[in-house]
Amino acid sequence: MGRTYVADDTVQKYLSSLHTAGGVCITGLLIGQLSLQRDYVLLSTKTPHRDSDGPGEGHSSSGLLDDADLEWATEHAKQVSQMLPGGMSVLGVFLIVPPELSKEAPSTLRRLVFAIEKHISKGRLWDLTEEDITERVTLQICSKTKKALCRSFDIKDPKSSAKPADWKYQPVSSSSWPLVTCTVALDLQISLPLKSLDDICIKEGLRSWANRIKAAVCLINGKLVADESELVPGQKKNPKMGKQKFQVQVLLQTLEDMGSSAVTQCCRSFISIRGAVHCRAYLQPNKPRAKHAVEAIRKDLMNTVSCRVNMLMEDLLMNEFNDQGVMTGVQPLPHRVFVALPASDFRLCDYVFPDESIADVAERLHEMLDSRVTEESIDSSLEPTHAKTPMSSRTADPIQHSRASKQHIEAPKDIKKSNMQQYYTGLLLAAGIAFLAMAASLIFITRLQ
Amino acid sequence: MILRLGGGLEFLCQLDVSDGKILLASLGLVWPQAVTSCTISFFLYFFLSFSEASQRQLEVSRSFADLRSRVKAESLVFSLTDSALFIWPNKSFQASLDDVDESTACGELLQYHLFLFFPPITCSSQPVVNLRFMMEITEPTEPSAPCLYRENKKHHCIRMVLPMDCVVTVRSDETFGSALSTQLSEMEAVTLRHMKDTDVPVPRPFHFSLPTSTELVTIVYPASVDDKGLESFRKELHNRFELPDDRPYFRRSNAFHFPDEPYKDGYLRNPHNHLNHPNIEGAKPYLVQGVYSYHHYMQDRMDDNGWGCAYRSLQTICSWFRQQGYMERTVPTHKEIQQALVDVGDKPAAFVGSRQWIGSIEVQAVLSHLLGVTSKILFVSQGSELPSQGRELANHFLTEGTPVMIGGGVLAHTILGVAWSETSGQIRFLILDPHYTGGEDLQTITDKGWCGWKGPEFWDQNAYYNLCLPQRPKAI
Repeated sequence: MGRTYVADDTVQKYLSSLHTAGGVCITGLLIGQLSLQRDYVLLSTKTPHRDSDGPGEGHSSSGLLDDADLEWATEHAKQVSQMLPGGMSVLGVFLIVPPELSKEAPSTLRRLVFAIEKHISKGRLWDLTEEDITERVTLQICSKTKKALCRSFDIKDPKSSAKPADWKYQPVSSSSWPLVTCTVALDLQISLPLKSLDDICIKEGLRSWANRIKAAVCLINGKLVADESELVPGQKKNPKMGKQKFQVQVLLQTLEDMGSSAVTQCCRSFISIRGAVHCRAYLQPNKPRAKHAVEAIRKDLMNTVSCRVNMLMEDLLMNEFNDQGVMTGVQPLPHRVFVALPASDFRLCDYVFPDESIADVAERLHEMLDSRVTEESIDSSLEPTHAKTPMSSRTADPIQHSRASKQHIEAPKDIKKSNMQQYYTGLLLAAGIAFLAMAASLIFITRLQ
Repeated sequence: MILRLGGGLEFLCQLDVSDGKILLASLGLVWPQAVTSCTISFFLYFFLSFSEASQRQLEVSRSFADLRSRVKAESLVFSLTDSALFIWPNKSFQASLDDVDESTACGELLQYHLFLFFPPITCSSQPVVNLRFMMEITEPTEPSAPCLYRENKKHHCIRMVLPMDCVVTVRSDETFGSALSTQLSEMEAVTLRHMKDTDVPVPRPFHFSLPTSTELVTIVYPASVDDKGLESFRKELHNRFELPDDRPYFRRSNAFHFPDEPYKDGYLRNPHNHLNHPNIEGAKPYLVQGVYSYHHYMQDRMDDNGWGCAYRSLQTICSWFRQQGYMERTVPTHKEIQQALVDVGDKPAAFVGSRQWIGSIEVQAVLSHLLGVTSKILFVSQGSELPSQGRELANHFLTEGTPVMIGGGVLAHTILGVAWSETSGQIRFLILDPHYTGGEDLQTITDKGWCGWKGPEFWDQNAYYNLCLPQRPKAI
């Protein structure tokens, strides 16, 4: 019994619009949502052209894809997966081949789908569990006959073989997909011990934060809902009903006891990540359960934070490389913007650095997703922007970057007066003694001479 | 009713590492006049260390102040354990269940407690409602753009989890929010008092039930300092609460045991509490004070059936001293008891590992050697004379309140109390029988009389009996 892949009509339209110019293959990604009964393919996009040294899209004789092409395709897949909200993921790949190369297509597809999965999961803060679906789809289309051959692979098992799968086209109404959102305030503190590597410590810090998120309690629309209970009980698919929206609240559990003494480490650096991030996830319309909503929003939260931090770190590393010195002080993390693709209600996202503009986002979307969007359709209002919260106002925030304005912070009022008094008397006493000693020494010198 | 709030709060503090001391060393080298430069370095060193210590204390205080503001924030959430109830105390009591709001009586909160795993608390003491606090990270009140802040400065990073444990009796007006804040202030005081350089002990709260107050008193102790090191602190507490200074009230083992927390070692505590007093005209009960564990045959996978009764009685007595805070070591095993007797020279070395009986004199010797506890020995030449010791025993339970070991004939028992009438001389003995070989089943033990009230006919009327009456050491 194979898996069933239900693809939207827009996917069919897109795939048939891709033309190959004799002897050349087109690779691309299939994007959608995995669910227990069936998988939905909502979007497809071809791998963008690589500015290769060779002529056009020439491929080497050693198979349909050479290593550089493979690397390019996996990097594209990673970029695209970062643009997807919760609940959506890269489901697999498609390959349009001319009939004469169709014999090598299955092995190429296999290579591609495993490599993509491996690359996407690098740096992820969560691992696939028993509950997750590990089947990925490969679609082989003959460029002449337009016949599609659909197979699936289990990416958890490196030795798995292709299993036949059902592929059918059906209109997927995006309005009936429930939406889950939340805005999360981040507060991570990472200390970098002496003799440690930056990226390992940051990864460690993100991982321990992610563990807390995994253990956190999530309320849906203000209530604790049992895992297996349905979010929209007993509802028939009613297209007249507006989009179901659910608000999630994440409550962090308290920490476990640590022992009888505090842990003291000598550290060389200190990193603090603060601010509000917006998380969004879509749930498949067929009887979604509370646990799916919770998992989807958790994964989206972990993905958006790790993705942004990694992007910033890479950016800073490049600056350091260009001899701008090691970064200190406040660095803004990329801002998340949302955009609905044409003919769809689903919103994808992208990350914008402060020195980038909306036009850059539109261009990136065109390149990655082969889709034209207008600048007006890009929504950047869901997250607070850096322009709205200038540095000076943040110092007024009671819970703030603790060291950013150290010089401006007064000692807390709760400090016992005796401490301060002790401090100053000690100061005066020691200064007095030092002065006397210096005076005595000077007299000694003059006497000697 | 007791409302108990618990949870771990993360404490993070950065202490700057000063380079002042290095500066001093170089100062000493620069100045040619050795004596004066040494003197100056000497004083400046102390000055800098002193100011360093003060600086550290400032940093620690600042971190505590930060935590205090956090527990007052709107993101604080209370969750009733094992239930779907979540309450936001600082957000005008928003709750996750529709029929709960600020005016809900605390007693009603009990109904939301799911009784799936914990049976309703049936013992005579007050019911306990356990709350845990959590922090909500969604719906921030003042969202700011996400940023990463980095500082490359050498520092000491101190990280610990503060084990918050607040108890609020429902009658008082004090709300939980201020209870957390108060406890943080107490923890700050303890931390500042006991921290040495960068060595910071975790402050841990304990609750004590005192005879002079109806509510539980919470004291914070530094976890890495043992009871001995805290003696002066305990003296202050005894003075503050006007308690006699000849018996301990504030040792860690004296901490109040909440009825919903099972004992981890599995022994039964005070089975006599489930018995009814005997109905005798004019007789008053004089019972053991405090908590002991029931030790009997076949426990700890030790088959001592037929010979270990006095050992078990001694273990019961040791358990009393441990739980009243006089003894920190664990209750001794049979071998350890035998070794103690060999060490004092009472028995030959071959005694260890044997199945030989011991009597009251040996019990007295072991208590003296292992615990430093003195005991009185009472002797009756005939079992029928035991009722005449009524006054002595009643007095013992009134003043010392320790369990009594009685050996005679071929049996040893533990006397936990007497019901004695001064006028008629009628007496009943509350006996804990170490000859029980079954499991820790309270129902069986009380029903079948393994812990029960016995009359004077219980004793062998012709045998002679020795009683060991342990005396409370005068210590806090």
